[in-house]
Amino acid sequence: MSFIPGQPVTAVVQRIEICKLRQCDNLILGFSIGGGIDQDPGQNPFSEDKTDKGIYVTRVSKGGPAEAAGLMIGDKIMQVNGWDMTMVTHDQARKRLTKKNEDVVRLLVTRKSLEDAVRNAMV
Amino acid sequence: MINSKNITDSDIQKKIDHEIRMREGTCKLLGACSQKDQALEASKSLLTCNTRILAYMSELQRMKEAQILQRATRRPSDSAPLDERLPCKGKVAISDLRIPLMWKDTEYFKNKGELHRCAVFCILQLGGEIHDTDMVMVDRTMTDICFDSTIIFQEACPGFELRMELYSCCSEDESSTGSASRKLASKLGSSLSRSSGKKFRSGLEPGGGSPVSNGGGAPLLLPAPSNSGPKYHLLAHTSLVMAHVQDAFRTHDLSITGNEECSYWLPLYGSACCRLVAQPRCMTEQMMSGRLKVKHLGGDSQSCKTTYSVLRGTKLFCYLQEDNVEAEVEPAFTIAINKETRIRATDKDPHGKAQSICISNRYGGEEVTHVLSAERREDTQRWMEAFWQHFYDMSQWKQCCDDLMKINVPLPRKPTAVMTKQGSLYHEMIIDTSDDIGTVTDILARRVKEESFLSHPEGPLHWMSLFGESPPPSHSLQGAGLSPHLYCRSPRDPGRHQRGQLSDSPGSPLFPRSRPRTLSLDAKLSSLRGRGYGSSPAQAPQPIPSCSSSTSSHSSSEGSTASETDSVPFPRSTTARSSLRNLRAKLDPRNWLQSQV
Repeated sequence: MSFIPGQPVTAVVQRIEICKLRQCDNLILGFSIGGGIDQDPGQNPFSEDKTDKGIYVTRVSKGGPAEAAGLMIGDKIMQVNGWDMTMVTHDQARKRLTKKNEDVVRLLVTRKSLEDAVRNAMV
Repeated sequence: MINSKNITDSDIQKKIDHEIRMREGTCKLLGACSQKDQALEASKSLLTCNTRILAYMSELQRMKEAQILQRATRRPSDSAPLDERLPCKGKVAISDLRIPLMWKDTEYFKNKGELHRCAVFCILQLGGEIHDTDMVMVDRTMTDICFDSTIIFQEACPGFELRMELYSCCSEDESSTGSASRKLASKLGSSLSRSSGKKFRSGLEPGGGSPVSNGGGAPLLLPAPSNSGPKYHLLAHTSLVMAHVQDAFRTHDLSITGNEECSYWLPLYGSACCRLVAQPRCMTEQMMSGRLKVKHLGGDSQSCKTTYSVLRGTKLFCYLQEDNVEAEVEPAFTIAINKETRIRATDKDPHGKAQSICISNRYGGEEVTHVLSAERREDTQRWMEAFWQHFYDMSQWKQCCDDLMKINVPLPRKPTAVMTKQGSLYHEMIIDTSDDIGTVTDILARRVKEESFLSHPEGPLHWMSLFGESPPPSHSLQGAGLSPHLYCRSPRDPGRHQRGQLSDSPGSPLFPRSRPRTLSLDAKLSSLRGRGYGSSPAQAPQPIPSCSSSTSSHSSSEGSTASETDSVPFPRSTTARSSLRNLRAKLDPRNWLQSQV
């Protein structure tokens, strides 16, 4: 899941649609993210390649909208509503997920098990 | 004699061939790998292979020379007397190798900027056996280089010399590990159009293997062996001999090669600590066994027991029956055979057929004598021979024969998924539920008050209300240990609390069970990380819970910061606050932010 500069990034992704949950004034998705191009990738416990500065899901709240939509811990988020998340700072990523005027976020996420499944299916 | 030499010749030849194959494979891997860690590991294997090949070749050389010498002098092989007595071999194990580092204190505590990291490992050589330890990344947050592996050498003689060499290689964070040609190739490939770029790239290859393109990526160039990849340099070395063997940790001096100018330099303190133990065969194996009649002189009259006796270690175990040995039943009695024991052969009586052996020991002030006699004369001879050999072994292995030293072979641990950087000793925080929460909140309140003068427009103590709701983590502050990077936000609405309950970390206990206060840096972090990062966040050392996830506080940064930003914007997110947050987050270079969305 790492990239080579200048080369197109390819990944097997899953579409996940999360409807934000409204709680009083706040809209929540029910998960936490980590990573970003301004963060230290070596501390990411989920990435296979420790130079990967992408955005990863570090926690999924039980019973929350993200869990219901099928998001899993350790997923790498590639796009949010069409916006790229592979080359963003942590704060940019957070902002893209938490726009107040959006009720639904459509994510493209990738995980190792997806790649494995596709690879096994092709054999 | 010559035949046996030939057999070992071909053994060594086979070993050399095996190592050469390994080396070829490692070179290929080195050229092909893209990640820094892989390259470092491969380079380490390469160095070990090369060392082994050199050692085997020199041994082969020596054997050939000995053969030639023997043939030249034409020693008569039949009438050769019994070779002089050779001591038994043994196992030598070295474990818990630790090399202290001596960073300048300014470097250590400031901890800013990029981390100069080195990859280090040790090569240990005893006789013909060469082993290497695992590779450890060292940077200035570490106080020691610790190698967890236990290395066991199987065939060591008492006069062994264990040579330990420490190799290190500088590993910069920024640069990638490609050969220059590969970097150039990918640059050109991306700037030219795809098809012409591919052609050009394939033309750049040194005529080695075929290009393997990975879905449009740059082809993997195969360089000539031992050209590319990170290079290790010898940083320090030392030699250990039997005099250093002890069933405890000892410190030994290191000879350091290299100086501060080298890229691979690390400030070594100059010594190495390790546990070096030896298990001679005479202590672990049965040296001699057979039926013996044992008579205890002076004791209860002439009781003569027929036993099956086993000579091992410092004792002669006398079992009543042979089966008892396997059944591991306690022997009927035991006779000590140690340096103080005196043995002599006697002619029992002129009428008797067999010789017998007299063993005298001193227990306390008394002298206790046992008389052993075997069924046949030859057996008695063999027993005498065994005793003599045993005594000789004990005299050669000296302190190793006082008691059996244990060799601990650690169970193979599953490699922890996370461990790339090791935590700093001084930034670690321990949370113990038995700590007094009152003092903690006091201290924190004071700190926040100080900070609030800087930037917080609103009252800083709203988050304190959290402590009433959720089980708080407590804190063992050590002096100035609490870093100024702490950042607490106050939740505005109670609605946040409920959300906090929702985001309860599934299943795992919220707060740690009681843990010892002091911790040993790396071990603690690695065990914590290995426990699974995301699922038990509360167990990571935390100075303070973040407010938005009131029950599960998790920050992956090593201890000192809890800068978790909250995504859903507060109603009154002032610019001063966000800038402070950013500043705080960015100040600590070892931070890995997580945000809740």
